[in-house]
Amino acid sequence: MASDTSHAAHPTPLLYVKIALLLAVLTGIEVALFYLEETVGALAVPLLIILAFLKFVIVIGYYMHLRYEKPLLSRFFSAGFVLAILVYAVVLGTFGVLAIRAAT
Amino acid sequence: MTDVAQTAPADTHGEHESTGIEIRKLGMWVFLSSEFLFFGALITNYLLFASRPGLARPYPAEIYDIPFTSVSSFVLLMSSLTMVLAHHAIERGDQAGTRTWLLATAMLGSLFIGGQVFEFTDFVLEYGMKLTTSPAASAFFVLTGFHGLHVLVGVLMLFSLYGMSRRMGGLSPKHHLNVELVGLYWHFVDIIWIVIFTVVYLISKAPV
Repeated sequence: MASDTSHAAHPTPLLYVKIALLLAVLTGIEVALFYLEETVGALAVPLLIILAFLKFVIVIGYYMHLRYEKPLLSRFFSAGFVLAILVYAVVLGTFGVLAIRAAT
Repeated sequence: MTDVAQTAPADTHGEHESTGIEIRKLGMWVFLSSEFLFFGALITNYLLFASRPGLARPYPAEIYDIPFTSVSSFVLLMSSLTMVLAHHAIERGDQAGTRTWLLATAMLGSLFIGGQVFEFTDFVLEYGMKLTTSPAASAFFVLTGFHGLHVLVGVLMLFSLYGMSRRMGGLSPKHHLNVELVGLYWHFVDIIWIVIFTVVYLISKAPV
């Protein structure tokens, strides 16, 4: 059993370059959103988060090859990410509530 | 389990018998997973203080140079491309290509660090925002400083691989995994910057 049987399925250099261009375009859109925040309004922040998440997933999936790896690695990696999001959402939520109480 | 050990080719030395994944690779993924908690703590700390009223000015968000940081982000994103091309080259046994892309990645990483040093110097000398100015400033310097430190470690590993390849006339098959592991680390540093760039630089606001 090879340690990684999926290497043959990895993308080609051309696809890697296309992905880099896509990442550059997404970054450009993010910067444009930053400057157009007053025009875009309340949608700007959710859009920025969605764009960042897209870039995040693309790098993990294609450059780190997670979509070609065994599912066990995805589980390990997602576990840390989800745990971090949950723990720090609780921290931010708690401090947010405390700040509101202190203000009232 | 015995079947795996008996039928495994010689070059799968170190493979984890029950998972079928190279043990060092598994270790790297677990380590990177734990790094989410490390950087998560620093980002949360920044978010707690970045917009808190009543702190000493300047707030980090008042003095960010977004065009400059956007270029830095672009440099780091492109270094992920050169890193994955280095990995692709080593898999094909292209030693010269591997060296070229490893060196390109290390140079782009160095450029990113240079940009960060410039940014920090600018904040301290031009705007008087130091590590001790306010909790918001501390949170900013600690978060981005630790990220920069991770980039620096990655650059050192890349130069080591490049030097090893030059000295030995190429990386042997047993070193291929090293390139992959350094690549995983490097891409992880990139994804953390993707989050920092959006959350810290583009979204967070100083209080009015």
